[in-house]
Amino acid sequence: VSEHPRDLPTGAKTPGSPDVFEELFALLLPERLLSDPRANGEGVRVCLLDSGVERSLLRERARQRGQEMKPIEGCLFLAERNEPLADEGQQSSPHGTTVADIILTLAPQVRLFSADVFGPRGSCEVEVVCRAVRWAMDVWHCKMINLSLGVPEQRLQQIQRRAQLQRVIEEAYYRDVVVVAAAHNEHPLTRSYPAAFAPPLLSVDKQLFADPLQFAYLLREQIEFQAHGRGYLGPFAQEPATSWAAPHLTGIAARLLSLRPQLKPFEVKTLLYWLSLKSHEAR
Amino acid sequence: MAPETETILIVDDEDNVRKTFREWLEGANLGCAILTAADAESALVQANQQTIDLAILDWNLGAGNDGLQLLEDLTLFNPEMVAIMITGYAHEATPLDAMRMGVRDYLDKNQDLNRTTFLKAVSKQLDRIRPARRERHLHSELVAFRSAVEKILPLVKAAVALNDPVPLPAAVANLFQFLMRTTGARDGVLLVRSYEAERDPVEVSRVYDTAGQQLDITLAPFAHSLAGSVASLQRPCTLVDLDSNAGGVQLHPFEHGRKSLLAAPLSVAAGLQVVLELFDKADPQGKPDLAGFNEADRQIAVAVADFGAELLRQALTERQMQRMLFDAVAAALWASESVTQSLGQGQVRPEDPPPQAVMEQLREGLTGSAVDADATIRLAEAMRELAVRHGPAAVKYCTGMVESLRTLLDEAGGMGEVRP
Repeated sequence: VSEHPRDLPTGAKTPGSPDVFEELFALLLPERLLSDPRANGEGVRVCLLDSGVERSLLRERARQRGQEMKPIEGCLFLAERNEPLADEGQQSSPHGTTVADIILTLAPQVRLFSADVFGPRGSCEVEVVCRAVRWAMDVWHCKMINLSLGVPEQRLQQIQRRAQLQRVIEEAYYRDVVVVAAAHNEHPLTRSYPAAFAPPLLSVDKQLFADPLQFAYLLREQIEFQAHGRGYLGPFAQEPATSWAAPHLTGIAARLLSLRPQLKPFEVKTLLYWLSLKSHEAR
Repeated sequence: MAPETETILIVDDEDNVRKTFREWLEGANLGCAILTAADAESALVQANQQTIDLAILDWNLGAGNDGLQLLEDLTLFNPEMVAIMITGYAHEATPLDAMRMGVRDYLDKNQDLNRTTFLKAVSKQLDRIRPARRERHLHSELVAFRSAVEKILPLVKAAVALNDPVPLPAAVANLFQFLMRTTGARDGVLLVRSYEAERDPVEVSRVYDTAGQQLDITLAPFAHSLAGSVASLQRPCTLVDLDSNAGGVQLHPFEHGRKSLLAAPLSVAAGLQVVLELFDKADPQGKPDLAGFNEADRQIAVAVADFGAELLRQALTERQMQRMLFDAVAAALWASESVTQSLGQGQVRPEDPPPQAVMEQLREGLTGSAVDADATIRLAEAMRELAVRHGPAAVKYCTGMVESLRTLLDEAGGMGEVRP
């Protein structure tokens, strides 16, 4: 049996030397990708399905960072209306503003779109979420959708409604839209949708990291990623929450997408997976 | 609901006869609705659509149709209907069969049929019809009344089935008593906010102190409040030094100057956001604990949020049951007013106030703290009696009283907007 390298299949590993993937992997450094000056979210359209955003607060935050905030388009989605209403630039509750601030802190040049699905009533149905996701894809042409929301498994027992939500998440996947969804705060004791539909999206649990650009891949009960669980704006932003972890991963993914906007969701997930291993090694 | 007036149907195959009869009836101002039909088929279609009280039928309808056969068919739709037969061949009539089918008079085209005899015959029948019809109407109204009252019984029984629901202020006070003792909080409030797009104002917020008493305070918009933040996070949150760490939200007057906060959302009912806020944690000696509420306090809040939500839900359900009960009673009262009107003005004296004893009985029944099925039946009977004996004035008086009580209840309960 010949042991000469030319007799081995292409890419196969020579004993004691790195294989092709290991060589490629060695080039993928978090600091190289995420700290690139061009990795600022430029050219990435991100939709925020949440409780609306308070533009004036975010504008002030951008000013404090020495930046100018890009205009944020927004709509209010109501259960009783098929067409959304124009957003008046205000939040229905502070939650959405905290989430938006996290994304803008990590990727300040993204173009944000606010879909206020909770509205003044403070609650929403799966149907409204589905409608807003479609609006983000069809009308706003967003590349990313952040879902710092979810419905516990026990409250989505109806197969038909669960399938409806899964269908729209899969539709986003096949249209190359990256969806980031927060796990339930009590995960894994409580599982919630759509985060538990993990394969077609980036599902995120909370963890505390020294650097908000750090994250981890840790598969646990269908949730794949962990990201920093503290925010920066709002009275309870310091409370660790998956709602704050999801926009951290959204911001990180937006940085990658600003380097190569046409990345597909599975490419983004693969890159994040590899980067997380590097990050883990570094720690 | 029976129509207000009697309906007369004229069936004759001769156009000019139908026209003449209609003109005579309309000219007499009998207060009846008048329908006409040229043949049996058209007559039956109309009888299928509405109640016919009096039919004026041609014995020979032409094309081989028999007026008596038509009458037999018409009575299938309107068993109480009576008829006047128009015939040129009175001797051909079969009186016994005709009487059995509802023929109450005959008019001979060839002899005595003119405006006077026609209207006399019609008026005679209407005079007979009207009391019987009123009686039927009264009966149906009473059935409706009983039905309306019976509808409230399951609600009342359901209210009784709840295990001795706690009044809202007491529920809130009990909740705070426990929480303050276990967490060391020195003060607290319960914020209740509801939103209804169809209401003006769309947002209604109320705040209760630790004794369960509503505070008369102007509140910041919920969307910009600490409570709004907590409600959207759906779990208990802590904060220290509220004035410094409000993070862009507007503080309510009672939140300013607080050193620590433990806020927990309570899932009470759809469309209702309830947040419990505890302030200023102190150590067992009563000294302020500047570190604020801890994880153990938060766990207590998690447990109490479920228990407290159930407590409040029961209090609200009991209040809502009473409201539904009053709605049903009010509906029954309106039904009974219709009964008294159908009895005729001669039997009631609207200007007379209802007897004091009856009013006392009603008042006692409506304001009683414990509502049970037996009491409701007695109350309903009293109102029915009141309506029948004393007429619209008494009913209006009672309806007004129910409205006043409902308003009073809303104010006392403090959450008229709840839709559990």
